[in-house]
Amino acid sequence: MSDIQTSTHAQTGLLPKVGAFLRDYYIYFVLVAVVLLLSTANLDKFDLFERGNFLNKNNIINILRVSAPILVIAGAFTMLMISGYIDLSVGSAMSLSAVVYALLAINGVPFLLAFVLTVVVGIGLGAINGFLVVRLKITPVIATLITLSLYKGVALLLVEDGVSAIKSGGGLKMPGWFNGYGRSGIFLGLPAAFWVAIAVTIAFVVIQRRGVLGKHAAATGGNPTAAKLSGINTGRVVFLLYILVGVTAALAGIARSSFMSLGDPLSGDGMELTAILVVLLGGTAFSGGEGRVLRSFVGALIIMALTVGMLTLVPAYYQTLVIGAALLAAAASNHVITRKGRAE
Amino acid sequence: MMSETVPRPAPHTRRRMSDESFITLLVAGVAVGLFLFASLMVPNFFQVQNMINLVTNNWAVISLGIGVTFLLVSGNFDLSVGGIVALSGVLSVWFAQAAGDGNPLSVGLGLPYPLALACALAGAMAIGALNALFVVRFGIPSIIVTLGTMMVARGIAQVITHGSQRNTNLPPEFGYLGNLSMFGTSVKFAVVLMAVLLLVAVFIEKRMVFGRITYWIGTNPVAATLSGIDRGWHITKLYLFSSAIAGIVGILLASEFKSGYSNRGTLMEFDALVIALLGGVAIAGGFGSVIGMFFGAIILAVVTSAATGLVLSPDWQYILKAIAVFLAIVAQTWALARRNR
Repeated sequence: MSDIQTSTHAQTGLLPKVGAFLRDYYIYFVLVAVVLLLSTANLDKFDLFERGNFLNKNNIINILRVSAPILVIAGAFTMLMISGYIDLSVGSAMSLSAVVYALLAINGVPFLLAFVLTVVVGIGLGAINGFLVVRLKITPVIATLITLSLYKGVALLLVEDGVSAIKSGGGLKMPGWFNGYGRSGIFLGLPAAFWVAIAVTIAFVVIQRRGVLGKHAAATGGNPTAAKLSGINTGRVVFLLYILVGVTAALAGIARSSFMSLGDPLSGDGMELTAILVVLLGGTAFSGGEGRVLRSFVGALIIMALTVGMLTLVPAYYQTLVIGAALLAAAASNHVITRKGRAE
Repeated sequence: MMSETVPRPAPHTRRRMSDESFITLLVAGVAVGLFLFASLMVPNFFQVQNMINLVTNNWAVISLGIGVTFLLVSGNFDLSVGGIVALSGVLSVWFAQAAGDGNPLSVGLGLPYPLALACALAGAMAIGALNALFVVRFGIPSIIVTLGTMMVARGIAQVITHGSQRNTNLPPEFGYLGNLSMFGTSVKFAVVLMAVLLLVAVFIEKRMVFGRITYWIGTNPVAATLSGIDRGWHITKLYLFSSAIAGIVGILLASEFKSGYSNRGTLMEFDALVIALLGGVAIAGGFGSVIGMFFGAIILAVVTSAATGLVLSPDWQYILKAIAVFLAIVAQTWALARRNR
């Protein structure tokens, strides 16, 4: 408390410390604020999920279940953005994986094989992005815009004309195990898809903080020339990161497809926006070079709590506006935070 | 707007054609070649009416492409135009709908029709101003800003229409502008407007200081600033210009269909970007032209309509777009590298 007097001098004392503290941990305050807001608001007006409190156990389980896709993507996407690159095709890659996974399952391929094959498809999709960006040197935005269109087109073509998604019918039936991965609670009432997302996030937190790939990604984003001159194969780093994003997009597709019990070729639409949003919310600089996987994970929790929780407060047609405004707000606050961080 | 013209070079000096004209010619050649190829493959493709349709069916995207091309040349994205098309259309309907009680979707503000249009255009340009604010003042990458404003614009349209559309209680003159035919032919006012906008844009781009400054900023922003160019204000004008075109497109479409539909213009921002890229506009800035963008639109139109003519499933359009952009980028890079070897 005695520091309050000295804090009036902006150079030393409490204020900069508070500033630094806020900069490092603001995302957790935002999460707490959003949860408080949603849990104290009147939820009795609509009966969309569980009647009652936002903090109701079933409601939390439901939010975490539908969050599995974005939670699993956030880590790899953060690393990619830290290295200064972007992947706009992640939503289409997710849709395509969802369709492939459902197609395999409905044609009698057992769970593990279908899972592995879909992940292999994800590796391939990521490798195509990596090839376009690293080998052919096409600007990341354009390269992944091309594959956004390509993957979406392939996903739509895999589903027969006149049918909206791969689902039971026409003599084929989804196997009984199909929606277990995304729905049935295996631990604390949460499904395997969620725990896979947690494991992937932990892996990326460790890679970022302790792994060589994490250091190289930050170096590539911070100053590509310097990174190259110090012997880092930046092309290989970026290629690998695109593959990792492809793999997590496949995992997200499997989770979504299993949760919805169908292979919807549009199920990943907009995921690239959500991914950019949560990474920016987590304070990763757009220019690359710095950022934290864990903060993006928290950012993803905030966005999912907000989008699902919001449905109980306002009609669904407010969603686009709120997400767009959140994206702008995240970008603006990110700008303020990273600029202050650099000035000091 | 500045009106001095760039001095012409003396007519007798022989110059090597610029890289930009080279690429524009290349794109135009590819457009014509593709059209002839499609004529061989697809029955009834080689018809005057079909040639006209390739342009007139795409007036909206080509018009949007003008603003998007100028911004790309200055080194900035504008992905908000599709959202603005929806917003301005919905606003024009909402403002023009008669006031009163009743179904919330059929009650508007009851403004006089011209005022309603002016206010809708102002609403569209407000999104352009928002783009400029975030890009210029805060220095946030334009792709992220305009993705955000795309959602904000469409989000406002969805809130006003409750996620669907408004089409009742409109004044009788509402449908006039969008269905107006010109010169006693079936050519619509919107198409003529597109042609006028194209000509004006080409003149600004090639002959006016405003256009040349746009290239300068895109080529070397630092040098442009050091030479005394107010870069921020120039980019602000470009965003306002682009959003105004998008606003007009939205108003015309709303008038044509006599409805304000919140999902209108979905993916138009990507198509506008795609035709600019097909037309040889470089996203790094400083390179490209409105004429190239126009021929890029023709390429895309030929490819998609030929695919429809060959009875491919409409799902193919995504794959065809991807392949077309990929080939365009690779071919243009290769052609330029070869030429400048």
